[in-house]
Amino acid sequence: MENKNNTFNKEYLDSLNRLYNDNSKLTGFKWFLDTAYSWAYKKNVSPDVVVLGTAIPEELIMAAGAEPYWLIGGSLGSVSWSDDLVPRDTDPVSRSILGYINRPDSVDFSNSLFIIPLINDSMRKIAYQLKSEGKKICLADIPPSRNDKYAQENYTNQMKELCATVSAHTKSKVSKYSTVSAMKRVSNARAALARFLELSRGRTDIITDSARIFVQNSYYMTDSMERWTYHVESLSKEVDFYASQSKNKEYKRPSIMVAGSPVIFPNYKIPFLIRDAGLAIYDSADYITLKTLITYKRSMMYGSKDKLIENIALEWYRYDASPAYTQNDVLYEYISDTVKKGGIEGVVYHVLKGQIEYDFELEKIENMLSQYSIPVFRLETDYQYQDVEQLRIRMEAFSEMLAQNRYRKVKKVS
Amino acid sequence: MSSTLKERQDKRFITKETQTAAKYLRRLEELSGAPEGIEPFYDTLKRIYVDMAHVDTNKKTVGTYCVMTPPELIYAADAMPVKLCSGNYTAFSIGDDIAPRDACPLVKAVAGFKQTGLMPVYEDCSMMVVPITCDCKKKIAGMLADRCEVTTLHIPASREDKDIEMFINQLYELMEKLEDVTGNRITYESLSEGFRKVGYAQYELSEFIRLKKQMPYLIRGSHAMAILNSASYMPADVWGKALHKVNQSLEKNISDKKTVTSKKLPRIMLTGSPIVFPNIKIPLLIEEMGGIVAGDETCMGERGMWDPAVITDDSFDGMIRALANRALRPCPCPTFADNSQRIYRLKQLIKENQIQGVIYHVLRGCLVYDFEYKRIEEELGKLDIPVIRLESDYNEEDIEQLRIRIEAFIELIKLKQPHEKITSVRKDF
Repeated sequence: MENKNNTFNKEYLDSLNRLYNDNSKLTGFKWFLDTAYSWAYKKNVSPDVVVLGTAIPEELIMAAGAEPYWLIGGSLGSVSWSDDLVPRDTDPVSRSILGYINRPDSVDFSNSLFIIPLINDSMRKIAYQLKSEGKKICLADIPPSRNDKYAQENYTNQMKELCATVSAHTKSKVSKYSTVSAMKRVSNARAALARFLELSRGRTDIITDSARIFVQNSYYMTDSMERWTYHVESLSKEVDFYASQSKNKEYKRPSIMVAGSPVIFPNYKIPFLIRDAGLAIYDSADYITLKTLITYKRSMMYGSKDKLIENIALEWYRYDASPAYTQNDVLYEYISDTVKKGGIEGVVYHVLKGQIEYDFELEKIENMLSQYSIPVFRLETDYQYQDVEQLRIRMEAFSEMLAQNRYRKVKKVS
Repeated sequence: MSSTLKERQDKRFITKETQTAAKYLRRLEELSGAPEGIEPFYDTLKRIYVDMAHVDTNKKTVGTYCVMTPPELIYAADAMPVKLCSGNYTAFSIGDDIAPRDACPLVKAVAGFKQTGLMPVYEDCSMMVVPITCDCKKKIAGMLADRCEVTTLHIPASREDKDIEMFINQLYELMEKLEDVTGNRITYESLSEGFRKVGYAQYELSEFIRLKKQMPYLIRGSHAMAILNSASYMPADVWGKALHKVNQSLEKNISDKKTVTSKKLPRIMLTGSPIVFPNIKIPLLIEEMGGIVAGDETCMGERGMWDPAVITDDSFDGMIRALANRALRPCPCPTFADNSQRIYRLKQLIKENQIQGVIYHVLRGCLVYDFEYKRIEEELGKLDIPVIRLESDYNEEDIEQLRIRIEAFIELIKLKQPHEKITSVRKDF
């Protein structure tokens, strides 16, 4: 037991320390580190509504009077708390999520309602395990083909049911006002994050790429969305201030896009390795990042309560880029648009062992990127750290290749 | 003139594919105790996998996967359903380069066949219906959609009334697509005819299962699996008629007191990932090692056609509702979040077939079955039924390893039997 706790603490604190050391000049960044720390170590927490994964519109939960408590995985330490509960080939994200639920002397989930978006097989079976243990669960069974005639209707009905289930659990009525308020809160938070990501892009001299991802991840650890939004805006201002003071004098690292399995705190070995290898993350193309783009226009915030829920479901189902679909067109389009805009020299395709859906999506992405002569580097790993040196060598080779490509282009032009 | 690389590759693929299928057919034929009337089933498997011929029909064919696609609807559109779940080693090795490494071999074999474009049963399909039962099926549906006409069926995670309603809508949508593809309208009469065809085959299957339960044994599990696998490539009425002859011969064997063996062999049940021809190495190993596959809870086996659609309202909508209910409610597929009924079904089969041990088959990468293993092991442990988990792939490299484990498992069961009933492994196989 102590060993498991030690693994958890070490990974968590190591990642926090490195983030702090790399970004110590940003005073506003410390708040995010504190948020992550208190999320992991706060005692006597008994959340009302727990969400497994991120593929669910949290605005609906908030409209029903609850603040979601997110379990999104990311921790090697927490994986060890679920080792005996799942098959060997289960992906580390699902293992980690289940581990957090079974973490001893921690959060009290006895009265929680678990909301489980069924984006993959592991989630489906974890739902069954939790139900067998007597936990209260609410499933969101995402229709896998967006082209089906009844898919949208089915999804919308499920979201309405989800809202009603949460409302019955929290004993808080869903009203038109509460729904609009939730839509506004979430839109503000996502807009603030999008602004921050845009402002800080390419300024690795001010804020590291891993810190940018961390700010994004901290959304799922905060207990106050308003405070989080405020701090993201403050951090944006601070970054903007430093950016206006000086130009980036750092060597302009080759810019890459990270796609595939989302990188989740505290397992930051991939972004840390990317930085160590001399690369810069221009953009991330995963469903957690793409969620930032789902915001609501003013016109969508009018109408009855049911109409508002329908609007949320419509937007969400249209733009969700999770691997729950037979064809992830949203993700392909995003990658294609981003690449067309320019600025991306290579793609690191991150696949966590067992997350087979991403591997299936890779073929199409590779074909698409080959048209733009953009190399794709598939990197398979899990939450263990034994492969770090192996990955480092491969990442460095990829970095060198991208640097060579630059020289080749310059030579060609001259 | 020298042949091109592609031609040489294709030739090599055909040679290897047909050799493997022929080998497993030969092993089946060599296994003693095959009932009279089994030849049409062998002929079908030979026709598809050894001769690589088209399905014996003059109708359009619709490819299906999993047990949730109702064949009645396809027959109603005057087409023939062909189940495309594959167990082919050669196609698997081709698919290995296309599908991700950790994808299940069944899906890799499908991808392999589609890639080569050499297998008539795949190439002839006017449409493929893919129920989304796991991550691999979900993603292969997307992959296949780039290569042929594909319709997906969203299988809900639970089986409440609202889920059945949603599935009914999907069946109506499927119906429209089938009408478009075949050019035939599905009417009350044609759907009734579809029910009659499938119902007849199901009736014969239930008779077959009743006879299969007899003690001493009238048929081996491997032979039964060959019969059930061939149902994928035969029209239901033709298959039913052929099975009727087998049932008649089994009835005759009862009166003639002619059984597979007079010895008391350990009765084993197979459950877990599907056993698809030619990947029948596990049932063959069990029976070659002196056991008998007395129970089968796999979706390409007895489960595939076991549950009949029950019509409580004889309107057109009533029939579609019956199909939706049959596809979801009794189905013990691990795609459902709560799959407690699989445990009830297993317990029922154990009781009915007097099972002494369970082999839990997991195809590498088939996570949904793997997830359910732990709970099933616990539940069967309470009944004092030993269970082993056998993980395998579509190749023959693990055969000796599997043989040792199966042999040890059979020995274990024999040791649990009363002393006087212990029998030695048959030498005459």
